[in-house]
Parts: sequence; C-alpha cells; structure tokens
Amino acid sequence: MLPTTILIVAFGSAGFVYLAGRVHARVRDTLAVLSSLVLVGLIGLGYGAWREVVYVPDFLGLELVLRLNLLAWFFAITVAAVVSLSTIFSLSYMRRKESANFHYSATLAVEGAMLGTVFAGDLLSFFIFWEIMSWSAYLLISCNRGRALEAGLKYIIMSLVGSCAMLIGLLAMYSGLGVLSIPLVAEGMQAASPGFVLLVLLTFGLGFGIKSAMVPLHTWLPDAHSEAASPFSAVLSGVLIKMGIYGFVLLMYVVVGLKLLLGVGAGWLTFRHILCWLGAITVVVPTFIAVLQSDAKRLLAWSSIGQIGYIILGLSFGTSLAFAGAIFHALNHALCKSLLFLAVGAVEHNTGGVRDLNDLGGLAKRMPVTFACALLAGLGLIGIPLTSGFVPKWLIYRSLIEDGYPFLALAALIGTWGAILYVYKLLHNIFLGQLPEKHREVRRAPLSMRIPILLLGLGILVFGVVPGIPLRAVQDIGHTFGLAQLKVTLWGLGSEAGALNMLNICLAVVIAFAAAFLLLRLGAKGRAVDQEDSYAAGSAVPVGRYHYTVDFYGPLSRMISPYLRDRADEFYYWLAARGREIADLTRKVYTGYAGTYVLYIVSFLAALIFLQLVWHIW
Amino acid sequence: MVNPILLIAVPLGLGFIIPLLGLIWEKPTRYVPAAAMVFNLAASLLLLPKVLQRPWVVETAGLPPPFSIHLVAGPLGVGLSLLIALVGLLVAIYAIGYVREGPVAKYHSLYLFLLTGATGMVLTADLFNLFVFFEILCISSYALVAYHGDRAGTESSAKYLIQGAIGSSLVLIGIGFVYGLFGTLSMADIARNIDSVSPMKLFLPMAFLITGFGVEAAVLPLNAWLPDAHSSAPSSISAILSGIAIKAGLYAVARVLFTIYGADTIALLVLVIGILTLLVGEMSAFSQNNIKRLLAYSSIGQIGLIVFALGLASALGVQGALFLVVSHALAKSLLFLSVGYMIYRTGSMEISSLYGMGRRMPVSALCFTIGAFSLVGLPPFIGFPAKFTVIMAALERADPLFTALVGVVLVGTVVEGAYFFRIVQGLHFRPPPESATPARADQEEAPVSALVPICLLAALIVAVGVYPSVLTHYLGPAARDLLDKAAYIHHVLGP
Amino acid sequence: MVTRIIHIVLSPLIALVVAVFLLGLSRIVIARIHRRYGPPIYQPIIDIIRLMNQQSISHGTLFELGVVLALAGSIVTVLFIPLGGTNAPPGSYPLAHGLLCPLSSSGGLLVVIYLMLFGPVSIALGAGASENPNASIGVSRKMLLALAYEVPFLLVILAIMSHYGTISIAEIVSRQQDSAWGVFSVPLSAVAAFLILPAMLGIRPFDLVGAPQEIASGPLAEYGGRYLALLTIQNGIQVFVVIALFVNLFLGGGVNVITFLLKVFAVFLAAELVSAVLPRVRIENALRFCWTWPTGLALAQMIITVVSR
Repeated sequence: MLPTTILIVAFGSAGFVYLAGRVHARVRDTLAVLSSLVLVGLIGLGYGAWREVVYVPDFLGLELVLRLNLLAWFFAITVAAVVSLSTIFSLSYMRRKESANFHYSATLAVEGAMLGTVFAGDLLSFFIFWEIMSWSAYLLISCNRGRALEAGLKYIIMSLVGSCAMLIGLLAMYSGLGVLSIPLVAEGMQAASPGFVLLVLLTFGLGFGIKSAMVPLHTWLPDAHSEAASPFSAVLSGVLIKMGIYGFVLLMYVVVGLKLLLGVGAGWLTFRHILCWLGAITVVVPTFIAVLQSDAKRLLAWSSIGQIGYIILGLSFGTSLAFAGAIFHALNHALCKSLLFLAVGAVEHNTGGVRDLNDLGGLAKRMPVTFACALLAGLGLIGIPLTSGFVPKWLIYRSLIEDGYPFLALAALIGTWGAILYVYKLLHNIFLGQLPEKHREVRRAPLSMRIPILLLGLGILVFGVVPGIPLRAVQDIGHTFGLAQLKVTLWGLGSEAGALNMLNICLAVVIAFAAAFLLLRLGAKGRAVDQEDSYAAGSAVPVGRYHYTVDFYGPLSRMISPYLRDRADEFYYWLAARGREIADLTRKVYTGYAGTYVLYIVSFLAALIFLQLVWHIW
Repeated sequence: MVNPILLIAVPLGLGFIIPLLGLIWEKPTRYVPAAAMVFNLAASLLLLPKVLQRPWVVETAGLPPPFSIHLVAGPLGVGLSLLIALVGLLVAIYAIGYVREGPVAKYHSLYLFLLTGATGMVLTADLFNLFVFFEILCISSYALVAYHGDRAGTESSAKYLIQGAIGSSLVLIGIGFVYGLFGTLSMADIARNIDSVSPMKLFLPMAFLITGFGVEAAVLPLNAWLPDAHSSAPSSISAILSGIAIKAGLYAVARVLFTIYGADTIALLVLVIGILTLLVGEMSAFSQNNIKRLLAYSSIGQIGLIVFALGLASALGVQGALFLVVSHALAKSLLFLSVGYMIYRTGSMEISSLYGMGRRMPVSALCFTIGAFSLVGLPPFIGFPAKFTVIMAALERADPLFTALVGVVLVGTVVEGAYFFRIVQGLHFRPPPESATPARADQEEAPVSALVPICLLAALIVAVGVYPSVLTHYLGPAARDLLDKAAYIHHVLGP
Repeated sequence: MVTRIIHIVLSPLIALVVAVFLLGLSRIVIARIHRRYGPPIYQPIIDIIRLMNQQSISHGTLFELGVVLALAGSIVTVLFIPLGGTNAPPGSYPLAHGLLCPLSSSGGLLVVIYLMLFGPVSIALGAGASENPNASIGVSRKMLLALAYEVPFLLVILAIMSHYGTISIAEIVSRQQDSAWGVFSVPLSAVAAFLILPAMLGIRPFDLVGAPQEIASGPLAEYGGRYLALLTIQNGIQVFVVIALFVNLFLGGGVNVITFLLKVFAVFLAAELVSAVLPRVRIENALRFCWTWPTGLALAQMIITVVSR
C-alpha cells in the first residue's frame, strides 16, 4: 500500500496546491511545503518494508505493479529530500511571481512522476511515469518564459525521441518475452539471443542517455537547466537526470544482468567499453566547456553533464567498487549541485536577477552562510576529503586503476582538475574579490532560502566524514546485483591494501588545523581593513573598478575554446533545419489548385489498376 | 429493446422537422440536434452490451437477407454509432452558443443529416445503402463547410464538392461493377460469393470503391480537400468533420476491404499508403501558421496512422485502429472546439495571435493542452494506450521490416510533438501580441455551452487514458466484427 | 600506538625543519650561481620571527582562515608520505628502521593527490578574500599552472600505479627497494616528472604565480606579518612534500631518514640549478610546454606500461 499511497499523495497534492493557490498564496505555500515533507516522511517510513503492489490489474491486458526495494528507496529518498528543500527555497524565490501557482503544483507533479518511475515494478508503469515526468518537467521549464521556451522545446523533443526509442525496445521485449514485469523480464532476457539483448540495450540506452545527458545526447541540458527557475534547476540537475541513471542501473544490472552485459559485443568493441569511453568523454569535454562559461547557471549546467559522466563511467565499468562509487556520486552530486543552484538562485534573488559572473563579486561579506555552504558544495564537487565527494571519486579511481584502465582514470582525474577550475571561478566571481557599488545593499539570503542551503551543506559534511552510512546502503544494492561484497566500515572501507579511513584523515586535519591555528596566534594580530585599503603599487585604488572577473581564465580560454565547440548541438540544429526544409517541401503536395487534386484521385486509381495488372498484388 | 433502425430514423426525422420548426419559431431549433443525439447515445448504450456476442440483424422490408436492405447492428456498428452520438451530442451542445449568424435552422438540419449519414453508414449491411448514406454525409458536409459564406469557405467547399463528387461517382461505378458481377448488393452475400469470380475481374471494382470512399476517408493522395475544408469551416463543423466524417469514410474502406474482400494480401499496400499519409500529414502540419490548417493536416497524419494499423490486418492491429479512431475523435474534436472560441475572441486563425491565451481563457487552454498531449500519445491520456496498442500490433510479428516501419511512425510522432509542444508553449507562456485587445476578465472565457462539451471531452480523454480497460472490453468484439468474414456472413445470412 | 603518536609528531617536525632549511639553501645556491654571496642559511628563520612580530592587515575571517587551512593541509599531507625507512624485515639493510609514514594505510597515493590540493585551494580562497585583483590574477595563474602540470603529473602517477599495481606509496617504495629504482623502471616518467618539477615547486621558469614585478606577489599581495610567516612555512613544506613524493616514487625512498633527506637535498639542488639560470615564462608558454614535452613523455611511458603488462 505504501508506494500507492505515496503516489496518490504526490499527485493529489499537486492538484490541491494549484486550487489552493486560487484561494490564497499563503495556503498554497504551506500546503506545498507540507506535502513535500510528508512525502519525505512516508518514504523514510518505508525503509525495510520491501514489497510489491499491483495497483492497476488490467491495462491493455497487462498488470501494473509498484515495488519498493532498496534501490528504489535510495533514489526515492534523494528525490523527495531535494524536492522538499527546493520547495522550501521557493517560498521566498517564488513570492510575488506570477507563475508561482503552476510552479508549486508542477514541482509536486514532477516529484510524483519521478517517484512513480523508481517505484515501478513493471516496464509499462516505468514508461508511463517516465513520460509524465518528461512532459511535466518541460512545462515547468517553459513557465519561466523568455529564453526558457526554446530550452524547454529542445528538451522535450529530445526526450520524446528517447521515449520513442524506449517504446520500441519495450514492445520488442513484450512481443519477444510476453511479459513486462521486471523480474520476469530479467529471467527471460537470460535466454534471449545476443541480437535481441543488443537491441534492448541500444533502444533503452538511447532513452536513458538522452535523459541523463550523456555526450553526444547532452545538448538540451545547458539551455534547460540554466533557463529554468532556480529552485527547479536544482531539482533538474539534482534528481531529474538521476532518473536516467536509475534507468541505466535498471537496464544494465537488473534487466540485462551483469553477466550478460559483460558479454555483449566483440573483442574491444563491447557495449561496456563504448559506454565507458562515452562516460570518459562526458567527464572531460563538458567540464572544460564549463570552465569557459561566464553565466553562473550555464556553468553549473555544463558541470552537471561532467559529473554525470563519472556516474556513467562507474556504472558501465561494472566492478563493485566502481558501482558503489557511481551510486554514491549520484547522491553526492544531488546534494552538491542542488545546493549550488540554490545558492546561485539566492544570489540572483537578492541582486535582482544578476547571473552574469562578470558582474558580481565580494558577496561573501553580505551572504556569509550562502557562501560557506556554496564553498562546501564546490569542494564536494571537486572531491576534497571530508566532503561527501571524496569517497565516491576515490572508489572510482581506485577501481579504474586497479583493473588496469589508466586512460579512463586519467580522464576522470583530469575532470576533477577541470572541476577545480570552474568551482573556483564560480566562487571567486560571485563571492570573493571586491564588492561592486551597486551590490552594496544586498541583504542576507532570507531564512527560507538559508534553511535548505544549510541542510544540504550539513548533508555534504556528514556524508563526507561518515561515508559509511550511504556506503552501506550502496553496497547492499550492489550485492543484490551479484557484485562482490565490500568491507564497509562506518568511516570508509575496511582494511585491505589501499583501504580508506576517513576518521584518520578527519582527525589529522583537525589536529593539523589546531596546530596551525596555535602557531598563528603566536604572531602579532592583524588590523582589520576594508576593501578600499588595498595594495595598488603606490597609486590610488580605482574604487569600483578594482576587481578581476572578466575573462578569468583568459589564457586557457584562448587556447582551448576552438576545440570545445558543442559540435553535437550544431549537428542537431542542422538536422532540424533539414527536417524543416523537407517538411516545407512536402507541404507543396497540396498545391491549392483543384485540378491537381482531381489528377491525384485519377492517378491513384490508375496506379492501383496498374499495380494489379503488372504485379498481381491481389 | 430499442430497434437499431431508430438510431437512423430519429435523427433523420428530426432533421426534416427542423426547417419546418424554424419557419414557426427559430429559437428551439438549436436544441433539436442535441436532443436527437441524446436519444442516439442512450439507445447505443443500451444496445451495445446486447450485441457484443451476436449482431442484431434488422430486416426492413420483411424479407430475409439477402433480399432487401438490412441493418447489421454488431459491436462495431453500435460502438461507432455510440461514438458518433457522443461526439455529435457534444458538438451540438457547443453549436448552441457558437452558431449565431446565418441560417441557423438550416445549419442544425444539415448537421443532423450529417450525423444520420454517418450512423447509417456504420449500421447498414447493404452496399448501395452504404453509398446512399455516404452521399447524405458528404452533401451535408459540402454545404456546412461553406456555412460562413465567406470567400475561403466557399472556395474550400467548391473544391471539396468537386473531389467528393468524383469520389462518389467512382463509388457508384464500383457498385455498378459489383452488381454486374454478383447480382446482389448485400455485403454478406457478396462476401460469400467472392471466391467464385477471378481476382482480375474483382480488382477493378475494389479499386474504384477504395478510391471513391478513400476521398472521404482522407488517405493520400486523395485528401487534398481536407486542409482547406477543415480550416475554413466553422469550428464545430471542423470538429465533426475531423472527428466523425472521415472516420465514416474510413469505415467504408475498411468494410469493403476486410469484410467483403477479406483482403489480407494487399495489406502491405494499405500499410504503405498509411505510412505515406502519416508522414505527409505530419510534415505538412509542421510549418503551418494557421491553427485550423495545422489541426487539419494533423488529422491527415492520424488517419495515416489508423490506416497503418488497419494494414497490419491482425486482430490486435484492428483493435489498435479502432482505439485510435476513438482517441482521435475525442481529441481532435476537443482541439477544434477549444480553438473555436479562441479564434472568435482574437479574430484571427494565426497561431501567433493565440499567444498568451492561457491567461485569458484558462479552461479552454488547459483542455487544448490535454487534447494536444493525447494526440501525441503521452500518458495518462487516451492517445497513449491507443498508440501503444498499434505499435504492439506492429511489433508482434518480430519482423525487422515492421520494426523499421514503426521507426518511421515514431518519427511522425516526434514531428507531431514538435509542433504541438510549440503551440502549447505559445498558448500558455508567450506574451500576447501587442495588437491584442486588452483582456476583460469577465467576458474572456468561453460560454458555458462551449465549456461543458470541452471539459467533458477532456475528462473522457483522461478517464479512458487512465482506465483503458473500459474501452478495450469492447474493442475485441468490434475488431472481430470487422475481420472475421465468415462470422459476419454467418450472422447475416444464417448458417 | 605510542610509536604511532611519536611518528605523527615527528613527521611534520622533520618536514618543518627541512623546509626552512631548504628555503634558506635555495637563496644561497642561486646567489652563488649568480656570483653573489647570498644571505646566511638561517635567514628564513630570522624572516619568520620578524614577520611574526610585525603588525599587518587582515581582510576578514576567510582571509585568515585560508592561511591556517593551507598550513594545516600541508602538514596533513606530510603525514601520508613516507619519510624514509623501510618495511623490509629488520636487518636487510644497514641502519634501516621502520617506515616513517604514520597514515600510510588510509588511502594511498590518491589521497595524497587530493590532500596536495588543500594548500593551493585554501590560498586561493584566502587570496580571493584579499579583495585585490592582483591576488585574483595570481590565483587564476596558479589554477592554470596547476592544470598545466597536473596533466603530465597524473599521467606519471597513473603509469607508476599501473606499473606497480598498487595505490599505496609504502608499497611502491618497498618494491623499488627490492628491485630497481623508479628512475630505471619507468625512465620516461621520471624525466617527465623532473621537467614539471619546477612548475610544481613554483620556482623559475614557472614562478609566474607570485611574480613580484608583474602582479605584486600574486596571491600573497595582501598578506603580511604573521600570515606571511605561516605562508612561508607552508610554501616550504609544500616544496618538501613535492620533492619527497618525487624521491619516493622514483628514487626508492630511503632506508633511513638520513638517506632519504640526502636524496631530497640532491633533487632540490638539481631543481634549483635549473631554476637559477632560466627566466620566467608566461602562462601560455607554461601551458603549452607542460602539455607537449612532459605530457608526451609520460604518455609514451604509460602506453609502454599498459602494453607490456
């Protein structure tokens, strides 16, 4: 009953919130926040109570099933947590905005669809909720108007292409295996021919690849995530693309199964290798494109694509360490990226809509909490020890190195270095440096924005110091797929050669910090000065123009930007233009002259008779 | 029990009464079509469970078949007349408020005749009778297309008339051939004796019949009248034409192919025609700026899909085709109806003038969105199980050719999605054009007489989309009615 | 347990002393090559004491925190790097003792790569809080330089980890002590590592980060007094860490601390000799250089390693 209840609550509250919004804004706000928190609670309660529920007994002759297991629970709790925090954030962000009503209800609807996707116990339910998720997300992206319209259109069309591919795979499976319930499909696939397995992998892989923005299917993401409203950008980057990841896990580990997966393909050209290399390219190229961006949200969007590359790399690599790292990184990226989008949203809100990195600066003084948490999130993206980003990356690197794929490890590590570059650029251009005159009066982020930011930051820190909590869950999930057991301790991995112990590292950092701090206190105190009292080599400080943000990595940009054009995007636009030309050409069949039309009728008849006389079709 | 002949007689009779009533008192004439359709709806609902197993054969002149005109009220016939009655009723309610200028009584009279023609077509068992009702349908629609009396309407109607007349003549010639070959006009009788004639001689009448009925059914390349006619007609007529009239034509084609001829062998030809119609329809819709023309081309595309499903010639394929017929009828009428008042308010059919209508007419815009999403085939709307069934039927055969064809069909879906999503965005999220008159909150939304059918259609689309088993229960017997030639002959003519 | 604690205290202490010594040594070596006298070898100690007593300015909490974190990070990194000693059974080598690496079993080389980031990132944050664009430009150059040397450095590290099949530095050291030094088993990597050593140490020709004549000491522009003192110490320890890593990976560590420190001194001398005679390059040239020669060599070595396994 629990999965059904959760879905009913989610979709029902979406409707009620919209109606409540017609009544009074406060009522709607309270209802929205309450519903999202109730959903978190319900999902939390469901831990351990794994079950399967048939909720529609006859849909075109198929049974629709919802099931709750650890894998579903893991993704569901992440979804619910991020969406509830985003809703709390929207309380201030969306106040007095005209699309607020729609925003709240659509967010809940998207959440319901995402939960439905992870709870689906048969592939038809999965597909239905997947589609609902896609179109409600498209509506929510578009409701930000302006440039978001083109972004939303690009997103939904690419998503539709993916869904159509998935539909083919789905129905091929149905006609081949006769069932769509996931456990039965998994059994049936074991006996299927390699060609069939490849078809399933390719069609579903295309759909999931588009949703999770794997290169070269990623081109919708930079526009969509940057033009959507900030609370929804957090949800998009944080959890919506993880649905693609969930799909990959379902496809590769549950439906097809690891043994079968590793055998698909020939020699070096296996599915697994190709996916690994696509993941590696997805790590490197978008990360460096992110370095070149000067719009804060666009930078974060490209960064999301890069981080997803890590997850895909880990998943397709297929060892227990890599799998654990990948799923843990899904959680980590959800926390870090939503925090960063919320932080940028807070800055945007307080400065009146400024997102351009060249225009901001010095806001750490005005928004200290936002800055501190954004810093934590940035470090989490890079993977600094003591944040939740360190362990998953460590696991992935170790797996790649130990299994003898140093080139993939190189791609992953270079991705981290690119991440350092863009994280610093983001933090510096928004929060550090000199505070411009026009932003002197910027106030602190409102409480309802600070709370989710703080909670996410806390999560990053806790999971960084005590990685055993998520690792245990991830490890159990991997174990159900037949991956080797990992010795997980509360602080990291158990003792083998190359073990990981976060407690040691944490204590070492704390002690070293204490030592350094004591050393500092030995010296003479510094006198506090304001930003105008700065070194200018003897000349007067040019107040208001003494800030370095524009072209922050200029030398690097000049060197690498010719190589980093988004060629996939150009290709898709070219394709669309050709399609449009063909469509226009096709329309000319209808000339408008009645005589031509009569000619069509007569020639059709003649053609039929001709076909019969010559080819005897009847 | 209601005699199926009443399903035809009542609308026909009331159709004749309306002009007489109009001479005395114009006002109540608006309500007569709705009343007639209420009766039809109730009657069909009562009949449907009874005829699921065994069709009711109605003899008209007291003579047993095959000696006079008969009606066969089978699951397919009664089901389709139910659909005709439902959509006809809702559009009639809409027309109560929508049709105000011009010869209103004549409008409603012709409208009832149109529906009579359609109902008659789906219920009859006689080939010439089929042609008669077909003609009633066509002629009513020729006149109704020109209802506005403006240049565009008249021109479209004239072109429609020319092509329709040619089509009808071809049908007549075909029937003549058939009569010459078999000496009978009862479809069951022809079907029984079909094998006694050589295929070469048989093909000619079939070609004529298919081409003739195909003009009304709007398959490529016979559908050139459709974009003009459906875009220049009043919106309620566009709705009924797209929703019902072309389905009736398609029904005629399907009956001829499957029941009379048992055409499994030319299924591939039907498939190809279907796919071509789908592609040309969707692609032509893509760059349209006129909303009604776009919807008309979209109808062509959907008809292509239905023909594709029919061409699969399997039980599941025909079920999918019927499911699509219902889905498209509901969705396309919803789209035309909701757009009708939007066009009325802005005075223009350009899509760019509809930007921002979501603010001024929220309910209409919402229902338009539901209709559009259903047409693209998104859950949880009825279009999804419909398309799903069709593709399921196509992939049932596990043949790479069919997988490729399905790929082409899905390309059509993506193109469809592309233009519908653009419109939906424009409706809800784009600012209205500067030339738009400022909104007056009280007068903006469509009147109740329009909102009731629109909301009901939307509700149906959602309801059946979430619980398709309501519909699929009846699709099986209906498909069998169409495909199973032997059973049809058995039911009509006896053992 | 007690040994552990002694090691934890001893390692950073050794690092600190040697670092200060190396800083002083570098000035004498360069001076002698430039045919000058140079300051006495204990000059850095004098500088640090003076700086600690000098009053300076502060730009806020992050400004000060950056310094503390940087120093903490460097100290922590030292704890993960073996500073001589061996895990071989006692008696195999003369004057050997147990491995001086307190936290060797907590993550290995991958953790060290990340911990080496603590310093630069913290300084970057502190410099950002300096509110001086010279500092920001300096940090931008620092990041780009780090990217420049990181590509070949990662290739080198990966080649070594592939070659020895482990991520633990202690393991790598003992394998080298048993067989051949890294310089001989992965020679191209060693050459590549030596080529990027100046970049990692921040000395000429790659001292463009703290270029006094161009950007007023870069990240350190606003730092003075006790902050500058700590940063000097941090710089020294960072230099020590890099060279210690080089010695561990390519010169087999040392069987005892003395041997180890002698090797460190030798490598440092070599690097300073190179630095003394070269001018400063621009960041574009640094990027281009690091991404061609050292990367090419390291790549070649990695391909050889992968293929020959």
